[in-house]
Amino acid sequence: MDYVLLAVVLFLAGFGLLMVYSASSYEAGIDFGDSAYYLKRQGFSTVLGFIAMFFVSKINYKVWQRFDVAALLVSVALIFLLLTPLGVTKNGATRWLDLKIGLTLQPAEVAKIGIIIYLASIIQRLEERGKNIIRTPKGVAIIMVPPTIVAGLIYIISDNLSSAIIVMGIAVAMLFVAVPDYKWFVLLGAAAVAGVILVVVIATSGDAEGGTFRMARIRAWLDPEAYSTDRAFQTIQALYAIGSGGIWGKGLGQSMQKRNFLPEAQNDMIFSIICEELGLFGAMTVILLFVVLIWSCMVIANKTSDRFGSLLVVGVMAHYAIQVILNIAVVTNSIPNTGITLPFISYGGSAILFLLSEIGIVLNISKKCK
Amino acid sequence: MSVKNSAGRRNMTIQKRKTFIVCVLSIAALMALGVRVGYLMIMCSEHYTELAQMLHERERDIKAARGRIIDSTGTVLADNKTVCTISVIHNQIKEPEKVIEALSKELDLTEEYVRKRVEKYSARERIKSNVDKETGDRIRNLDLAGVKVDEDYKRYYPYDELASKVLGFTGADNQGIIGLEVSYEKYLTGKKGQILTLTDARGVELEGMGERRKEPQAGSDLYVSLDINIQKYATQLAKQAYKTKQAAGVSIIVMNVNSGEILAMVDVPEFNLNEPYTFIDEFSAQAAAPSANAQDLLNQMWRNGCINDTYEPGSTFKIITASAGLEEGVVTLEDQFSCSGSILVDDRTIHCHKRGGHGAESFVQATMNSCNPVFITVGLRLGPEKYYKYFTDFGLRQKTGIDLSGEAGTIVHKLENIGNVELATMSFGQSFQITPIRLMTTVAALINGGKMVTPHFGVKAVSEDESVVERFEYPVSEGVVSEETSEKLRYILEQVVENGGGKNGYVEGFRVGGKTATSQTLPRGSGRYIASFLGFAPADEPKVMALAIIDTPQGVYYGGQIAAPVVRQLFENILPYLEEKGYN
Repeated sequence: MDYVLLAVVLFLAGFGLLMVYSASSYEAGIDFGDSAYYLKRQGFSTVLGFIAMFFVSKINYKVWQRFDVAALLVSVALIFLLLTPLGVTKNGATRWLDLKIGLTLQPAEVAKIGIIIYLASIIQRLEERGKNIIRTPKGVAIIMVPPTIVAGLIYIISDNLSSAIIVMGIAVAMLFVAVPDYKWFVLLGAAAVAGVILVVVIATSGDAEGGTFRMARIRAWLDPEAYSTDRAFQTIQALYAIGSGGIWGKGLGQSMQKRNFLPEAQNDMIFSIICEELGLFGAMTVILLFVVLIWSCMVIANKTSDRFGSLLVVGVMAHYAIQVILNIAVVTNSIPNTGITLPFISYGGSAILFLLSEIGIVLNISKKCK
Repeated sequence: MSVKNSAGRRNMTIQKRKTFIVCVLSIAALMALGVRVGYLMIMCSEHYTELAQMLHERERDIKAARGRIIDSTGTVLADNKTVCTISVIHNQIKEPEKVIEALSKELDLTEEYVRKRVEKYSARERIKSNVDKETGDRIRNLDLAGVKVDEDYKRYYPYDELASKVLGFTGADNQGIIGLEVSYEKYLTGKKGQILTLTDARGVELEGMGERRKEPQAGSDLYVSLDINIQKYATQLAKQAYKTKQAAGVSIIVMNVNSGEILAMVDVPEFNLNEPYTFIDEFSAQAAAPSANAQDLLNQMWRNGCINDTYEPGSTFKIITASAGLEEGVVTLEDQFSCSGSILVDDRTIHCHKRGGHGAESFVQATMNSCNPVFITVGLRLGPEKYYKYFTDFGLRQKTGIDLSGEAGTIVHKLENIGNVELATMSFGQSFQITPIRLMTTVAALINGGKMVTPHFGVKAVSEDESVVERFEYPVSEGVVSEETSEKLRYILEQVVENGGGKNGYVEGFRVGGKTATSQTLPRGSGRYIASFLGFAPADEPKVMALAIIDTPQGVYYGGQIAAPVVRQLFENILPYLEEKGYN
């Protein structure tokens, strides 16, 4: 078993709890009269996550291949359940399911792990059939259509662009790894870059007040100080937090920005509070831990001779990498603002539960490595 | 090995390479973001820290101590007293009932008044300001959460009404309202400091997060030429005359003839500088009237008659006519005149104050007698143009430029409107109006050898740490009259005191020069007079000059009989004192 990975994950989850408490205690004390309100909830989810991780790590990962279609169907079904009265709406978006036992579940988090299992399995099966079917348009379609549908549903039903991007990102990463060609991907990458440039040009050339909500977000990204009171409010507050941290930070618990300046500091923007309190030193430590996490995943994936197991690890690695990169990029205003949580650290029960479950799978695979 | 398997194995190898590529690309992206974070936290740190600090801090002003006003003896005439402002911060109050009870008891306020403020939801609510320091300290020692005691400065005048119209007072924001407090505002006022406290986004102050202070900078001390001993004595004399003569007002100005420094300026009735908005007895009846305009009455009460009001100087102005005549050569000291008790100017008969006439007299004797026909004659010899030229040259049409605001200008006919009759009345100080300070300043120039000084109080401004000292300079113009004329004038005016109408101004052991005046106020025949005496000493080498003006005295109203004794008593006291001080 890979103990480095386990240690990194244990540390990140523990550190995450500490930072959730630090970032939320002041506001929780005012809003709920209990400064540990968020800590308790996150602590419960984390314990649940570790239990899940432990059991999953005991289950032979090959079992999951039997549930590949089931994983896909369950993911889709849960997303559709959001349309029923079980769906919980917060801030205008229906993203949670009420489990009626005092807990909520985010179907998008289930979908991420579901897609990883489904894709690892289907790619393995296609390769089994041989004849390089994976390199044909038909093979690509078989791989890419289901995640595209799932991502589309997540975007349409739960108005959650970030999760849709992550699902698609995972799928593209797994496809890239599985298909022996480079040419298509280079072309795809070039097309994506061109597309991004085009969108930015459209967003900036258009009439300032016109355009869609997302176009406005892009303008706010390019000039946050001009939109500091509305669209770029969160971004600017995060930048204040990061910038005022300096090299050594203000010290744990000393953040000013968490005092209602940066709304819901324990969520997407928690990295900025880490910067403010622990400084550049703390921020770099967190980034390095994620580097170690991703590297460990890569090592496990490449030591696994079984294609299904290897692809599972690649999927999990892609999931972590995309989320960490996008989160830090958003917080530092390197890309337009979209709500993406920082794995293991941001507040969010479903996220920590499934992130740790995924680690359980990877740990089980690591046991079978040579 | 089947084809299928070998292809599969080859694909697996590529897959591993590609997994490595994905991993390396991800790590590269993270490293790039690391650089971005480093850029924000090192290069932009200052920028964002500053913006964040502006966002996090709420500022409260700290008043700066105002500079003191200090007289020539080193006595502090205007000082600062530490007072406290008591306020409450709603969010921080833990025991509202206890706070209400304690504050209403300590501050002597009704319970409802305090309760309303304690229970009001606001960031900071002021309960009472100008609370004395002992009470403030007591409240602070009660250690009630949410109650803030801020120290503050309040202007304090140790001598209450002494020189009230000169010093002036300050308003709620410690800004000068009248007097020197206004003229020297720029020097006296300090720079406000700030207390910067950290608050959350709701504006709630954060306990234990510390606060930053920008220390206030105290204003500079103003050193003035007033001498508290002279001012006190002059005030005493003025009050005495005010009371015994039941006058409308008594003004006394004491000035250094050579520098223009004013040693004392009294304008009774004065008011209490510590309570400038409380009407003094003279005004309380008017203020109580239903039609009273309080602000107008206050302005009247604060008015400094020495500079804000004009009057007809009367016979003291003969000094000017004499100077002009002597300077122009139309009269000499030995010239002989004859006074029949009146003089015919054009078709008007103008009487001398001595209806029977002074008979034959020299110019010196005529001055001693304060003989109107003689001075009318001198005026007529000069003619309107010349007389007007001297009037102008002696600075009488200009303000003196004294360092107090609201100096009144001279009211005088235009040259083209001055006929012989107007000229005749001007010659003995009627039909125009000037301020007392204008008269003094011009006479000072005429007797000091022709040097026109600017009357003033301000000597220097000294910063708190004595690092910056600014000495004030005032315009001086020389050659207003020749030294010869000045010398003759001093001789005549000494004669007036030694042997003439000003003998009540005589001071044993000192050579005093001077001139009396008794002017009827307008409208003529109202029976209201202004009695005055202008004296200076030593007569041969003048150093100090005093002017006493008694407005509307009851009973005897002659300047020589009621105003001259005031200056004499003043001189009897201050001349030895000034000599002792080595005053020049």
